[in-house]
Amino acid sequence: MMLDERFFSRFGVEYSPNEIIFCEFEPGNEFYFIQSGRVKIVKIINNREKTIDVLTDGDVFGEMAILEAEPRSATTIAMDHVKLLKFHRDNFDSLLQGNPQLAYKLLVIFSKRIYDAKRRLMILLLEEPQLKVMDVLNMLSEQDPKLDLQNEITLYVNPQQVASWAGMAEADVQKVLTHLSRLDKIELYGDRIIVRNIRDFQRIVASKRKSMFT
Amino acid sequence: MTNGVGTSGIAPRTYKSGSIIYFEGDKSEYIYVLKHGRVVLTSIKPESGEEVKEEVRQGEFFGVKSALGRYPREETAQTMGETVVLVLSLADFERLVLRNVNVVRKMLRVFSNQLRRINKTQRTVLGEKDTINPDAELFRIGEYYFRAGVLQQARYAFKKLMEHYPDSKYAGTAMERISAIASGKTDIPSPGLDAISDIKSDSSDLGDFSIEEKPENDYSPRVKRGDSESSSLSDEMDDFLSDDELGNLDDFTFEEGGKEDESYIPHLFDNARELFDEGQYAQALEVYDKIIGSEDLTTDEEKKIYEKSHFEIGRCQMKLGKSREAMAAFGNVIKNYPKSENYKGALFCVGQIFESAKQKDKAMAYYSKAASTPPNDQVSKQAAARLKQLQG
Repeated sequence: MMLDERFFSRFGVEYSPNEIIFCEFEPGNEFYFIQSGRVKIVKIINNREKTIDVLTDGDVFGEMAILEAEPRSATTIAMDHVKLLKFHRDNFDSLLQGNPQLAYKLLVIFSKRIYDAKRRLMILLLEEPQLKVMDVLNMLSEQDPKLDLQNEITLYVNPQQVASWAGMAEADVQKVLTHLSRLDKIELYGDRIIVRNIRDFQRIVASKRKSMFT
Repeated sequence: MTNGVGTSGIAPRTYKSGSIIYFEGDKSEYIYVLKHGRVVLTSIKPESGEEVKEEVRQGEFFGVKSALGRYPREETAQTMGETVVLVLSLADFERLVLRNVNVVRKMLRVFSNQLRRINKTQRTVLGEKDTINPDAELFRIGEYYFRAGVLQQARYAFKKLMEHYPDSKYAGTAMERISAIASGKTDIPSPGLDAISDIKSDSSDLGDFSIEEKPENDYSPRVKRGDSESSSLSDEMDDFLSDDELGNLDDFTFEEGGKEDESYIPHLFDNARELFDEGQYAQALEVYDKIIGSEDLTTDEEKKIYEKSHFEIGRCQMKLGKSREAMAAFGNVIKNYPKSENYKGALFCVGQIFESAKQKDKAMAYYSKAASTPPNDQVSKQAAARLKQLQG
């Protein structure tokens, strides 16, 4: 999305590679648009830095600060020379007025984040590792409207990403995936997983979900 | 979200009473506005399975999030009484909101609140505490980077801690760290930080908690089988185990492995930790066994690593589902290294093993001991929480 050039002189900030933009648990009052460069989102988990996501041009981060100050939920670090637009909560309203395009984009971003968060919650609530993994695959199949779910589908995801969605250790995910592939439910590659019958996984998870609360 | 936008040119659609406008799980790019009549949205709360019914107000949008985010409908929309709605394509919707930013602003606030609520539920499910101390957490992050030698990041975290929480109990140490970084004297991160044990690490997996250094460095020499230097608790423990299929603590043996060059010990330990963090528990276990098997540990650091390795072996065994072996390793820590920093962690893990073996009373006894062993750190709190839950 192209924003007015005036914006950069007023709201533009730049970061060098490896510079922290904000740190997890620091109070947050601003949100950011990436103009250029890459920003990585990390968390220190079990005494290791884990990269949760890498964002690029046109992405938004820190958007939870729109409503009120709350400690940041992750640390953001510039990966390259990064140009950002930085907006304080206080001038959010005037920003929207002057930039309805940006307002629309924020709506789309929030819609996606809400879905992601809700979906992740549903996966975490499943108890058995195999169901969690199946449901991550279900979720990925839902995200691509072009997939024909009646047939075999290819999901571009690696075990590490599945583990991160499922909130499981990679080794455990690997075990489940290997098991499913032995049963010929899936075909496992380094960068993708082919699911023979995703409807099957959907049914299994849905029936489990129904029985969870009865 | 009452919409004050003009909707000229968009044809209304009339539904009979009881019609379904869309089902949960449907995929569609349409967004609706209720003109007349009533629409009820029915969804299931993921965390409780509870059915939630919500009525759309006149003039309100519905179906917005799933259309914008391009994901399946999360609710079923059904009419009550004859109902008229406007059906908008994404392009129609975009055109409308661009002309009326107030609508977007209202929606954004609603969305932001929803996201916050879901995130909160997610944290609860993961067992993360809500009442976090941001100052302690900032300090933890600073320490992580400091020890990892990423001083730029460490400095940032410590500075933010000073800036926002100057009265924090971590402020003093943070200040010291900042000056150390400024003067380049960062070679020897002091391990004696009580503070750290107060700080939770990721609690998504109970078995994964890590216990940081305590100030005292009480090394007890290697105890051979049959040594009778047992505390009252270890006596209790033998009692617990006497009628237990999980095994007898006196059964543990030391593997006498090949001799290792001492200088490798800290290196080996780091390797093992990494393997563990990567989920390669069997491989991590091998390395820990190697450490335990190495003789002539001379430096204090090596002795400490030797102690810690016993605990880590227990954690590996636990991950590998070998309760008996895990029990033996933790029993070793509890019996032979009661002053070790992992003592409490070992108690907690034994509690977990008993809990998963459905031996509630024994689990409670160990949790209770872990909860009451000072200091009142994250392990104690976790133990207290488990105890409370088991007490029902």
